[in-house]
Amino acid sequence: MTLAHYLCLGAVLFGLGIFGALTRRNVLGILMSVELMFNAANINLVAFNRFLYPDRPWGHAFSLFVMAIAAAEAVVGLSILLAIYRNAKGRPVRVGVLNG
Amino acid sequence: MATVTHMPLLSAIVFTILSAALLALVLVVVRSSNIFHSAVALTGALAIVAAVFAFLGADFVAASQLLIYVGGVMVIMLFVIILFQQSAGSNAPQTNEQWLTGFFAAGTVIGVLVCAFWGAYSKITTAHEPGPTTAALGRLLLGDLAVPFEVVSLVLLAALIGAAAFGTERPGDHR
Repeated sequence: MTLAHYLCLGAVLFGLGIFGALTRRNVLGILMSVELMFNAANINLVAFNRFLYPDRPWGHAFSLFVMAIAAAEAVVGLSILLAIYRNAKGRPVRVGVLNG
Repeated sequence: MATVTHMPLLSAIVFTILSAALLALVLVVVRSSNIFHSAVALTGALAIVAAVFAFLGADFVAASQLLIYVGGVMVIMLFVIILFQQSAGSNAPQTNEQWLTGFFAAGTVIGVLVCAFWGAYSKITTAHEPGPTTAALGRLLLGDLAVPFEVVSLVLLAALIGAAAFGTERPGDHR
């Protein structure tokens, strides 16, 4: 396996994440697509680390940082979503309601 | 010790199986009309990404991926879906009319990135034996990367406070 195989896997994952973020109507679906894009970036970081700098795990450390930021983003996003649902009182919530 | 990286055919087979399963699950995530199915497929996809990490020799990152994403983020997401999605019109259409825009945007990104990566990195292989990375990673995180490491803990604290602030139900919220 060459480095390009893993990078292309990450690129396809990233592109599908963009597709999901653009076409999803539900805020939760958009959050899930953003998680996919984070994971694509992580695959690329770890793959570069493995193939180009196998002795220094900087790529691993950065992917851990990305995971921590993604977890924080998911928690804050989901709590905002809960607040929106609570204010909507059972009406369907779409991205359009975020326009203000 | 002969690892899977020293057997090219077996390595290619494992990579192909992991990629195919990952792409199938991701397609379910982005196209499923049921948000609950999307979340379950996303859980599987994140677990397979952890398998890809383990296959790349990143043992600590793979374990963190399983703990943080599959064990933490996805459980919260499934909680939110189960609690609130049933009453919030789960039979409404889940995708909008921008699929053509999304298709071209995603196709452009995938095409450009795959061409660039394939042209630049398709000759690079590695003979490096994967080993335990946890000790080196710990020294790095508390040595060269100590400041970002502490800043991330501040970010997590801010996320905790933010989640508590948004989650608290104050009198007067219901108008």
